[in-house]
Amino acid sequence: MKAKLKAFFQSNVFRCVTVLLAIVLVSGALLSVCNDLLFVSAEERFARTLAKIYGRQVETTQLSVSAEDAVFAEGTVNAAYLTDDGNYLIQSTGNGGYSGGTVTLWTVFSCEGSKEANDFKWLGIEKVVYESDRKQSYISKIKKKFYTEFTVHNEEILAGGKFTTAAGGDDIYTLSAGASRSSAAIVNGVNTALAYFRAHVLGGEA
Amino acid sequence: MKNKYAKIAFDGLITNNASFKLVLGTCAALGMSSSAIGGFGMGISVTVVLLLSNVLISMLRKVIPSAVRIPAFVVIIATLVTLLRMALEKYMPDLYDSMGVFLPLIVVNCMILGRAEAFASKQPVLDSAIDGVSTGLGFTVALTLMGVIREFFGSGSFFGIELFDFSIGFFASAPGAFFTYGICIALFLLITDNVEKTARKKRARAFRVSQSAPLPAPEETEKKEAETC
Repeated sequence: MKAKLKAFFQSNVFRCVTVLLAIVLVSGALLSVCNDLLFVSAEERFARTLAKIYGRQVETTQLSVSAEDAVFAEGTVNAAYLTDDGNYLIQSTGNGGYSGGTVTLWTVFSCEGSKEANDFKWLGIEKVVYESDRKQSYISKIKKKFYTEFTVHNEEILAGGKFTTAAGGDDIYTLSAGASRSSAAIVNGVNTALAYFRAHVLGGEA
Repeated sequence: MKNKYAKIAFDGLITNNASFKLVLGTCAALGMSSSAIGGFGMGISVTVVLLLSNVLISMLRKVIPSAVRIPAFVVIIATLVTLLRMALEKYMPDLYDSMGVFLPLIVVNCMILGRAEAFASKQPVLDSAIDGVSTGLGFTVALTLMGVIREFFGSGSFFGIELFDFSIGFFASAPGAFFTYGICIALFLLITDNVEKTARKKRARAFRVSQSAPLPAPEETEKKEAETC
């Protein structure tokens, strides 16, 4: 028995298993330690997104978005925030992208005053920032210019208008050539945020 | 000794350039070369993993039994790539986001496993480190060059700076990536072949000159031999 055990411990099989186990254990331990050290929390992720949108850190208050209020014909609202400068920040996902995919965006609604002081005024869309997408392989073709297009029609938007990718109607036409389906999803995302803002922030007044 | 290290470095950078000569790591080269910054970021990431994996594997080459060397290499490379992912997500989130799925795919990059198997598992640590850095830098230069070409024609910009409002969509697409890759390989081979031919001609000329130098007279040679005896 002793001889068999000795032979086993001296065998190549034992050496292979031991070395592999040692490598796996050391790797696992190293990854666990680094995971703790380099963990990125949800708050940090959100702060980064805000910094990307505003170029500085801002304080926010999260607004509750119920499941029924979140779903619209053109997309879904994921989250809404009120920032310390009085603006509203809405994250929405637009449907109708290439291959049934979606595009998620942040839309900043520029506002003045506060509802409590009865001097609240909506000034228009300040910024549209891309967040992520699903199945949109041509999304990189959409340039910054297309996103700025949403911020230059505030007069029509304040008058109740919305965006479209179909030319010829009353709505504001905007399309990025070469990535028309992805730009349709972006337009749907902005329209969704717009519909939510009108219905739940303005209370259906616009 | 210095020549040995210079040769290893030159091999990794030019003679056996992973991307243009050995056509390794093609997935990353095609996927991440739509912009110069993306290509450069991917190249540097691969270089870091390659350097660390080569050093670790070379250090452990006498410990790891031959029968389990491939799974051991894969575990080491996967650990390093996961560490790199964590570090990039924490400190360089923009680069992390732009690399997307191609970052974890570094684990299965045949160039890294190839260098581990062909070089690091047989050579000392310093040699392996030089090989890792030079192969990685060769890959980085290749990806950045492809990125510059594709970004310039596909988006009309250079390292993210918009130069003109004109672009050829083909270069930003997957077929454009294959086209650019093919053109780069052809140009690289053309240049290296020409340089090699010129060097060979020079060597042949130098050899011929040395052969045509006058030989000492036979009597003198006999005298010298006698003196030696």
